[in-house]
Amino acid sequence: MIGEAIVLLGAVLVLLSAIGVIRFGDVLSRMQSLTKASTLGVVFVTIGSTIVLPTWNDDTSAMAAAVLQLLTLPISASLIARATYRARNIEHQIDTVDELAEAEGEA
Amino acid sequence: MITASYVVLLAATALFLGRLLRGPSLADRVIGIDGMIVCAICLLVVRAMDTGEGAFLPAAVVLALVSFISTSVVARYIEGRDE
Repeated sequence: MIGEAIVLLGAVLVLLSAIGVIRFGDVLSRMQSLTKASTLGVVFVTIGSTIVLPTWNDDTSAMAAAVLQLLTLPISASLIARATYRARNIEHQIDTVDELAEAEGEA
Repeated sequence: MITASYVVLLAATALFLGRLLRGPSLADRVIGIDGMIVCAICLLVVRAMDTGEGAFLPAAVVLALVSFISTSVVARYIEGRDE
């Protein structure tokens, strides 16, 4: 019962990140919504499933998927952000301080 | 409660599919595909809970690896494209 509740919480987090991806008006904001909320969602779903699933074999497979998502989603977010920033034909808006441009201007 | 998880994850998949179809740039489509793969991993895990057998759980691990590789390759492609 508590495992199913945790899985439902993770699914709601993934739905929230999907709403952010469809509603935000900027590539960088959408990517931030996808990677932060859905990482926590995947981790909650797998933790809830390990409470419910009976065998160690299934538990380790689910936790391996969660650990791989935790390791790779921030890296892919950084890669997409850098590519979006460098590519001149993709619209992105930075509202406050653009520290990357300042650092590249000094270099 | 498992049925509610199915419905919520399928709604999230539909929203990511909308972003994938609408674009407007290539980075948005990559974000849409990434989100759909996250939903697919969660759906595989929920299905394993539902049926009680985890025969498809290694497919979730493979999906996580493939999504990272495809995202990094497309990011490199976006960055190297000069127009």
